[in-house]
Amino acid sequence: MKILSKIKHRFWLFILFFGVAAVYAQDIPKPMYPPRLVNDFARLFSSEETRALEQKLRAYHDSTSTQIYVVTVNDLEGYAVSDYAFKIGEEWGVGQKGKDNGAVILIKPKVGNSRGQVFIATGYGLEARLNDAYVGRIVRDRVIPYFKENDYFGGVNAAVDAIIERLSGEFDADEEQDNEGIPIGLIVVSVIGLIVILRLIFGNNRHINNGGSNRGGGRFIFFPPFGGGSNRTGGFGGTFGGGGGGRFGGGGAGGSW
Amino acid sequence: MVEKQEAVASQWGNVQNAYQRRADLIPNLVATVKGYAEHEQETLTKVTEARAKATQITIDPENLTEENIREYQQAQAELSEALSRLLLIQENYPELKANQNFLALQDELAGTENRIAVERNRFNQLVKEYNAYIRKFPQIIYAGLFGFKPKAYFQAAEEAQTAIKVQF
Repeated sequence: MKILSKIKHRFWLFILFFGVAAVYAQDIPKPMYPPRLVNDFARLFSSEETRALEQKLRAYHDSTSTQIYVVTVNDLEGYAVSDYAFKIGEEWGVGQKGKDNGAVILIKPKVGNSRGQVFIATGYGLEARLNDAYVGRIVRDRVIPYFKENDYFGGVNAAVDAIIERLSGEFDADEEQDNEGIPIGLIVVSVIGLIVILRLIFGNNRHINNGGSNRGGGRFIFFPPFGGGSNRTGGFGGTFGGGGGGRFGGGGAGGSW
Repeated sequence: MVEKQEAVASQWGNVQNAYQRRADLIPNLVATVKGYAEHEQETLTKVTEARAKATQITIDPENLTEENIREYQQAQAELSEALSRLLLIQENYPELKANQNFLALQDELAGTENRIAVERNRFNQLVKEYNAYIRKFPQIIYAGLFGFKPKAYFQAAEEAQTAIKVQF
């Protein structure tokens, strides 16, 4: 009987624990809309700085599919900086699904007496190249010196450069990036169908103008622009779809100043 | 039901791997500290002993009873405590504190603690799903028959919760 009540007691503690966790989970902000890689909630960067960072990260994402999110917040809501960074990584799905090639650079600025804190969380897929010790060294040697001078942009920029440098050649552009929307195959089929229908309707005119051998040629005229258009991830400045479902397992390192 | 049980078992493997990863870092850490802080022999010995004790205990996923998990957790908690004492002594040895190798090991250690926390939470989550599942109708009728017993959780005990505070 005693044991039973003990178990019950434990059980309630457990419920309480998870209940609190569930309430807390809502404190993590939603990603900014439209989706972007620089989520400057604490407004640490000027608009030019934000643009420069976003451009750099977007270009890197487009060429490697690796997502490096920069997030700044004024309040960690009682979380350890590391936990907050993991939560953002997991809940926003930073990185591509399956590759888990996401990173979150989280900055809580030094406000008044509270210490500034920074944490770089690495997704599962990045842990091999960016191990905790290496990330720790980036934070200590290349980031915090800037932050101590209140140069947030300089520090983040240095962190991004260091990460990119270390990861070079690790990941390729992701071709099947947009899983939502219409499948490419369907588009191909419907475009071909459309061509066939158009041919059936207007085919006779062409015949008269260009001769019978045009049937194959028509396809070449139609296809190249289509091929270019389907490659949505290739163009710079295109749309960014937000997190890709990457996962985090506790990798990364941080520091304070 | 088998899948859920397998999920718990493999997640238990992840939990043990995370703890093992921490244990693997310790000899290196002890060696580094020794080079700077010879007078801390007692603290160092305690860590080595706690590590030896903690690595001895492993639980087969078949036997994830409350008692076994408590024992496992207890041993790991003792190691945590010995480790945090070890990390405290750096305050007395500025050269150690600035040592690159020592800093790197601390980052690794902190990362390992984070991974332990993540894996433990996932483990508890899966156990919760499994336990809820076998208690539901109609599974409850045959679960016991085929030996699908409820599994125990990792407790959020105070001593285990105090993750090592790493000073930066």
